[in-house]
Formats: sequence, C-alpha cells, structure tokens
Amino acid sequence: MNRGWMIFLFGWVTIGMAAGPADITSRGSLVRIRASIQPYDQFRPWQKKAPFGLNGTGVVLPGGKVLATAALVENRTEVGLEKPGSAEKCAAEVEAIDYEANLALLKPTDPEFLKGFAGMVMGTALRSGDKAEVWQLERNGELLRNQAEILSAGVGRYPSDEAGFLVYGVRVSLPKRDDSYMLPLVRNGQLAGIMMGYDRDSQEGSAIPVPMIEHFLKDSADGKYEGFPTLGVSWSPLRDPNLREEVLAPKSGGVLLTRVNPRGTAGHAGLMEGDVLLSVDGFNLDEDGNYRDALYGPTAVGNLIRTRPTVGSPAKFHISRRGKEMDLAGVYDRKAREEVAIPTLQYDVPPKYVVVGGLVFQELTGTYLQEWGDKWSERAPQRLVQLFTFQHEKRADPEKKVVFLSQVLPSPTTLGYLQLSGLVLEKLNGREIHNLQELAETVDRADSGDLVFEFTDDPGKLVLGAAEVRAVQEKIGKDYNLPALRRL
Amino acid sequence: MRFGIWKLAFILLPFFTGCGKEDGQLREAKKNVVMIEVTAQVWDYRLPWNPGTVSSSRGAGFVIEGNRILTNAHVVSSARYITVQREADPRKYPAKVLHVAHDCDLALVEVQDAEFFKGTTALPIGGIPDLESVVSVYGFPIGGDRLSVTRGVVSRIDYNSYTHSGRESHLAIQIDAAINPGNSGGPVIQADKVVGVAFQGFRGDVAQNVGYMIPTPVIRRFLKDVEDGHYDHYVDIAIRWMPLENPAMRKYLHRPNDGLGVVVTDIFSEGSSDGVLKKEDVLLSIDGHPIESDGSVRLEGQPVQLEEIVERKFAGDQVELEVWRNQSLQKVALTLRPAEMFSMYENLYEEAPRYVLYGGLVFQPLTSNLMGGLLGAADLRLRQTYTLFGQDQLYRETPEPVILSSVLPDRLNVYLVGMAGQIVREINGQRIRTLADVIPALESGGERTVIRFEGDQRPAVLKKSEVDRVMPRIMAQYGIKEVSRTEVNGRRLAKGSFSGEKSK
Repeated sequence: MNRGWMIFLFGWVTIGMAAGPADITSRGSLVRIRASIQPYDQFRPWQKKAPFGLNGTGVVLPGGKVLATAALVENRTEVGLEKPGSAEKCAAEVEAIDYEANLALLKPTDPEFLKGFAGMVMGTALRSGDKAEVWQLERNGELLRNQAEILSAGVGRYPSDEAGFLVYGVRVSLPKRDDSYMLPLVRNGQLAGIMMGYDRDSQEGSAIPVPMIEHFLKDSADGKYEGFPTLGVSWSPLRDPNLREEVLAPKSGGVLLTRVNPRGTAGHAGLMEGDVLLSVDGFNLDEDGNYRDALYGPTAVGNLIRTRPTVGSPAKFHISRRGKEMDLAGVYDRKAREEVAIPTLQYDVPPKYVVVGGLVFQELTGTYLQEWGDKWSERAPQRLVQLFTFQHEKRADPEKKVVFLSQVLPSPTTLGYLQLSGLVLEKLNGREIHNLQELAETVDRADSGDLVFEFTDDPGKLVLGAAEVRAVQEKIGKDYNLPALRRL
Repeated sequence: MRFGIWKLAFILLPFFTGCGKEDGQLREAKKNVVMIEVTAQVWDYRLPWNPGTVSSSRGAGFVIEGNRILTNAHVVSSARYITVQREADPRKYPAKVLHVAHDCDLALVEVQDAEFFKGTTALPIGGIPDLESVVSVYGFPIGGDRLSVTRGVVSRIDYNSYTHSGRESHLAIQIDAAINPGNSGGPVIQADKVVGVAFQGFRGDVAQNVGYMIPTPVIRRFLKDVEDGHYDHYVDIAIRWMPLENPAMRKYLHRPNDGLGVVVTDIFSEGSSDGVLKKEDVLLSIDGHPIESDGSVRLEGQPVQLEEIVERKFAGDQVELEVWRNQSLQKVALTLRPAEMFSMYENLYEEAPRYVLYGGLVFQPLTSNLMGGLLGAADLRLRQTYTLFGQDQLYRETPEPVILSSVLPDRLNVYLVGMAGQIVREINGQRIRTLADVIPALESGGERTVIRFEGDQRPAVLKKSEVDRVMPRIMAQYGIKEVSRTEVNGRRLAKGSFSGEKSK
C-alpha cells in the first residue's frame, strides 16, 4: 500500500516539476501546427477521402521558418500556424518537403507573424545514453518538459522509406496532450531531433536526428531541393568463410553486392553484381556492412551514403572483383530512385485515370497498392503486386508505366465485363501502351470501329465499340457523378 | 479450368469419442449406416523424415451393394487402423481402405469378416433430389455417441469447391439440415434411396444452416471409375473461358446476338485442349448440348456449367465441341486427361513427403502441404510463385519448384540459417526443375557446392568434404534415418489421387 502511494506521489511530483513557469526559450521557438489532411481516394481516383486534422508542435528556426515532419503535412489541403498561449493564427506554405526523410520546411504567409521569435538553434548529434527532453505544449501555452534518454542511434526504418536512415531510439514517458503528432527533442535548449513516432505501451519512440535535419536544411537553402543520395544496390553480409572463398574476397571486411541498378550511383561508377564493396569514401566496411563512425561507433553503411554526402558530391569506392582490388569513382545521385516504372509512394499527387465507356484505367503506384490495407501484398491483384515488388530485378523501362484496368462501372457498353479488375493493359488496337496519356490519345483517335484492349492476364482481350463509347461517355459521367472522365 | 473460389468452408472433421450401442429396431435405412473409427498418421511437411502425428477420429459410412462401405475420403485418409461398427452389433470389425479418391472426397472401405454384413441390406443410390424437397442426414456427429438423424430441405444445386483436395470443384448440393463434425461420410436419404454423402459445411459465424453433400452423379462416377480395380483422377478440359455477353465483343467475333456461346480466353499447355482449341474460339455446343452465353448447358432439365459434361467422363474419353473459329463453324473432338500440371495445388495425403538433406539444408518440392506447413514463413516471392504457378504456366519451365524449406542448424551451416524459404534456381550451375534434379546437381561441380536462388539473394556455399564429414552428425542430432526420399510409389511428380492397397 505504502509503496503504491510513493510511486504515485513521485510521478506527480516529477510532472509538477517539469511543467515549470513560462520559459523564454520555448516562447520563442515553438509554434503549433494545424494541418488539414485529405488524401486522394485511390479506388475512386476522381475524388478525395474524408478530411481529418493533424496537430503538431513545430520548431521555429532562426530566420522565421518552421520545421515539421513530412507526415504531418503530406496530402494537406491547408496548413496553419498558431502561437502558443494565444489564438493568433497564420496560414503557412510548404517550402520544401522530403517524404522519405519525413521532413518539411514551412513558411508563414505573413512574414511578420513570427516576428520576435528567436528560433531554436541546432544542437550537436547525440549518442546512446545521452539525456535530452521532449517538449510539449500545454493548452495554455506553458511548456511541458519530459525527461528523455537516447537508447540507440543507428540506421532504421522511416515511415515512407525503404532503405533506412539514421534514427534515434528514445525512451520517454509522454503524457497525452494536443499537438503531439510531432514534438521537438531538445538538449540544453538546442534542437537535438524531432520525435516522429511513439509507442505508449513501451514508452519508447523514434526521433529524426539533427544530422538528418541539417542535411535537409542545407539542401533546401538554395530553393532547389534534391534529396538524400542513394547507392542503388542490394548487398549481403560477407561473414560466411565459404562465401568469401567463392567470391574470392580478401581476408576480412566488405559486403557482397547482389544487385546493382545500372542507373544508380553505384551502377554509373561501374560497380557490378558480385563485387565485394570494401570501402566507401575511405571508410572501410566490415563484413556486416558497418563502418566506424566517429560519433556512433559501428554504423550501417546506409548512413555513410545517405546522410553524409549530398547529391552531386564525388563518391569513391574500393572493391574486389573476382579477387582483384580496384578503385572506382562516381558522383552521388538519387535519380535511380525516381526513375522507376512504378513509383513507390506518392503524396500530394492526384492519381491519374481515364474512363473509357465504363472501363476505368489507372497507372500503378505503391500508393494504390497500399490502399488495399496492411495485407496489401496478399489482397491486391497478384500481378500488380508482382510488377511492383520485383520491378528492380526486372530492370523495367522507367518510361513504361503500368496501365491497368482498376474497375468497371456498369453501363450498356460494359455488359459482361463487370467482374473484371486488376488487369494490366498491354495494347490498344495493336498499339503498345506506355502510359495513360497514350491510352487517352488512342481512344480519341479511334472515331469508329472497335477498341480492342489486350491484357497480360485472362481474359486477354476485351472489345468496345468506339462509336458506342463516344455516345455513352457523357451519360456515365452524369450517372456516376464523376467530376471528369479523365485526369492525366 | 476451375480455379474454385476460396471459401471459408471447413471439412466436417470426424469427432473424437468412444462408441454407443443400441439394440432397438432400426429402420431399413438405419441398418446400413456404420460408425467408422480411424487412427490416422499425418505426415509433417516441416519434418518430412518423421513418421507423422497419430490421431484418432470418428466418421460415418454406409453399406452399398457388393458388401462395400462408402464414406468420405477425409474420414479415412492417412489411416493406419480402421474399425467399423453398426448400430445393431456392438462388435468392432477391423476394416481396410479399398479405394480413395481425394479429388471428390469419396472412399470405399471393405471388411473381411462376412459376419459384419449380416442383416445389412445395402442402400440403393438414387438421383438428384428436387429443390425444396426434404432429405434426412444420418451420422455420428458431435453431441452424443449414438446414431443421429437430422432433416432439412435441398437449398441449392451448384458447383462448389471440395475443400479436402484444396483445388477441385464439382457438383455439390447444399442442404439446410444441421450437419456437424462426425456427420462426414454419412448418407443423405430421400424415399429410401441415397441422394448424397454429407461432407462439408460452413463455419457458424459466416453462415447458418449451410451443409453440403456429394450428389449421386459424383458418387456414380467414382463407383464406375473403380470398376477396373483402381481410381483415376478427374479429367479437366483445362481452358479458361469468358461469358460472351458483351455486344461489341460478340460483333468482334462475328456472332449474332442469339445468347449462345462462350469465348475461350486461355488454353493450358499439356492439358486436354492443348493443340486443339485456340484463343478466341467460340464454344457453341458440347456433346450436342447448346452452350448459353453464360456458360451453362441443360442437363436433365437443370441448368449446369458446361464443365459438368466433362465431369462425368473418364480419362481417355472424348468430348465433342462445336467451335466458331475464323468465322466458320468447326467440329473438334478432345481426348480428356487429368490436369496433372496443377497437381501442386492438391493436398497430398497418403504419400510420404519427398526431400533431400544436404549439410543440414532441406530441399523439398513446392506442394500445397509445404505451403501450409510454412505458414507465415513463406516470403512474397514464394507466395507469388505458388499463386501464379498455374496462371502463368510456370510448370512449362519448372514442373516442380524446389524450395530450401529449412536449415537444420549446425556448426557447418551457421551462416545459412536465415535462408530458408528461398526458391532454388541452380546448384553447381545446373538448373533445378524438379526435386529429381537436386542429387545429380549436388554431386557435380568442384570442391565447393554453390546453390543459387531466385531473386537477388546471395548464394549458399558449402564445402563438399565438410558436408560429407558432418552428415552423420547432423542426421544423428536430428534423428534422420534417410538422406533423401525422392521417389514415392514410383512417381517422380506429385499427383492427386491414390488407390488403396487391394485386399489380399
């Protein structure tokens, strides 16, 4: 009984102490962000889904811009800023955004709005064991400072990224407050990171560290945002002595490249599948793909490639190819990431579609597949999942988009086709279709005769009469209240 | 082709328990219903060298002419020991499986002791009952030990998936009588004649009062098939077709709007129609029965899917089709055969799982049993290969994909443990198309064995001399007697059905 009381009291005292009196630094460095979010409906590409709001606590930077997470403002219809402790509001524009790095830079539309805000300066990078604070705002604008500890600093997953970036694991006990979708991680009054995720049960969260933020800010300073470079390879650890012997690797160190994208940084520099990558920019890699970071110790190569250099800076590789060591040079790039037939995730981009006599065609994106839910890889049409998941292996032509029949709206022209969906279009009237634009053009050009659609999968071929399609188009738009029959 | 819709159907699992006896007067029909108690041993595809798990269960069956007992395949599959018992006789008689057809979930059981059949009269097999007519279901379901009777009406006569095999669809009759685990194999009777064998139902929270029975056309086909002493598999026309309802599509194919015909959209190579039918053929009639544009034909006054004509035939039989091709009418004949290229999708029962063990690496052919055993461990590539295997006709290139199904940890393979679940592409430079390719490929090559997988996975490399040295250690450690089992019943590829041993 007694002990129970003690714990309760202790907790209460801690919170009471943390919610200190008005803090000058917080007043000049935090602003509430109110975002109204409305994503596109991928299954009904002509419309958006129901809107909802997200609220976060933004960090005012010296110079009057506001740092936010991309997740807070992606698919926004509007973003507003609000001063803590007052109802003063101002709309904001997104000046730069990186969905993969989960960072965004906002600018108030009224340049005077943040006048008098000193802003928060960047602190140094932290390492595991360091103490910090996660700042929250009370309803009345008072600052709530929660003691936090850095549990880990290493390469980990970000919500919209596949390859991994530097991330802090943070232990902190966060009380429920508004505006907590993003929160600043602070040390000695300086910015140490941005909390982007938190699990209330384990009381652990993840934070975007300062080196990531600095990279992002530096890149966006010239008004032309380029993003974080990528190498464009898949690799495997090289601890297995049998495998080392087989690939004629040197005595120690290095990882085995199992795939090299010819359009990526590594591909352009001449790296090949089967090479043993021994060092990058003078940093030696161990058999697990770690380099020795001055601050963090052994760290995954991902950080070396993505956070440290910028797009356009020189890259140096030392490799072993069938037992022969050599140096290769290149330039850091990220184009291979964008130049793909099927884009991974798309935010703030309206989905393209074309309605032809009730057949609805779309271009495949990762966002469309994700609309099928957590188990999208099981639930979405398997051909689409296959094309998306293994597109890097197939080295598909980035200019050839995947145009597919997503659904059929019942109409007199689509009689007998109603149950069809998820079919990848190969040709229309004998012409190979590379994108929706070509599909629309081909449909427009056929004023009479048949429209013969050829698909990869069963039933292979569907036919519509061009004249009948023309006659029924307007009625379909009206019957289904479509704002437009195509968006290209 | 019939890729049945996956349904939440379950097999009426025979129910565990003892037995009951009753000395009262039984109706004529009841004289012939028997309780079947089975001790089964089911192979474990995760541990293919193990003899399997032993379990007991209970189902029903009934005596038909020739002193044979008809029941479900799933009641007696993988049986090691079977006893049968009648309501009128407390004695349990040992029995044996005479024939089992997993594709249509039927089996014949025989009893050596003639004493058993004293007082039985053999139930006659009837026809297809009318919709809404009343039927009675006999069996030994959950809730007691004695014979149970429930009544219901015929709700629907349609094609349905047979969950025991996992890939087959045949004619099935839906009834609203309460049928439960333990009813399996029992007769469904109307006017003193058997009109079906109770075999599967729906789980309660999805639907209520939905039970299925195997109708008499399927029963008769099975009984006829085994007349020659062994059971052959169902045959398959092995095409995909689409209803020909769209006016523009009809015009494109030069067909008048007469509501007849379906269009062939795919022909599976190695199947019955390979080389005979072509894409865009319009099928107008099958064995003289006109085909409606939705794919139905009239059979004994009932509309059924055109496949039903094929369903009632046997391997080697012909089927005649009227085909509209290149704007002219043609008659073609198909010789029917089973669709063996899809056997991967069929649940295997009696056959022992095949495997090859090499330095703790276990290689197995991809089968529906293995996919079931891997459960969540199968990665996306493996799942996609499995799903698209038939559709993409991957069997032409790789009749039987070989999987590194598990890695038994040992000092030798410590760096390979995470690689289980990969599809083997080549071993020592040799392409692997079936499990039979694995051993010769492992024996070829130099001092190192290099195993490459599909996708951008690293290769697995082992030293041959080390493997040879540690194999006895691994086999002792994991209790494995045989290095491999590559041939079962003299067959290289997995096939669906199997005829039980004949009585001696």
